[in-house]
Amino acid sequence: MARILIIDDDEPFRVHLGTLLRGAGHVVLEVECALHALDKIALDPFDLLITDIFMPRMDGFELLSTLLRRHPRIQVIAMSGGGSGMTPALALNVAKKLGANELISKPFQPGAVLQVVDRVLQSAAV
Amino acid sequence: MNTTNLYQELIELHKLTEMHEELEGGFFTVVRHYQAGIVHRPERIRQALREQDPERVAMESHSLKSVCRQVGLQNMGNLAAQLEAMSATGSLQDVEPLVEQLIASSVVASQELTRYCHDMGASRPFQDKEGVNEP
Repeated sequence: MARILIIDDDEPFRVHLGTLLRGAGHVVLEVECALHALDKIALDPFDLLITDIFMPRMDGFELLSTLLRRHPRIQVIAMSGGGSGMTPALALNVAKKLGANELISKPFQPGAVLQVVDRVLQSAAV
Repeated sequence: MNTTNLYQELIELHKLTEMHEELEGGFFTVVRHYQAGIVHRPERIRQALREQDPERVAMESHSLKSVCRQVGLQNMGNLAAQLEAMSATGSLQDVEPLVEQLIASSVVASQELTRYCHDMGASRPFQDKEGVNEP
């Protein structure tokens, strides 16, 4: 069981991922913006963050840069369906360069998300 | 056209099937959230268009695109992607017909999601007279 923080400005995705990961036995918190995420992480430790990339106010790229400066050991999965003229592949490549451990394209396959989450948590435990 | 089976043409059903298998009891609640997004986002896009705010049109279209594609509404997702690309240029010229097309599509998509969920055994009313219930 891991503590997982989901960051996505789209409520359906937060609810979907939260339901999926709780069903897999994890403790999950959901926030709608990257700034709230930074506040939560400052208060509570999380094993894993799953963040969308294109969000208002602070996007996932800025979140990744800020987060990994402050918490270099935290595990991050970035997800995107593309946006702002970037394809999903390009957005996720940038996220990877910024330090994301794994990437998920939107629309996502629920089974694949669970596999990616397990892989990241297992690699962090080694 | 047999309207009973319209959702089979409108929705890539394997996406909902896979979601149902993974979420089991939580499936209908999650679909309600997606359905609410599909109904309310186009209205927000229309409002942003009235206010001549291309950035908000682009952001709302981006969200709608992702929501539609996640539940297998590929054509509506493509319309939203087209609107996102057009408004991302900073101009809202010529986007109004596309917005109205999205509004009309969202009504049909919502009805068909409701129909699908009833056929899959949703245990409580999925839609009220005014539209989509809050999830």
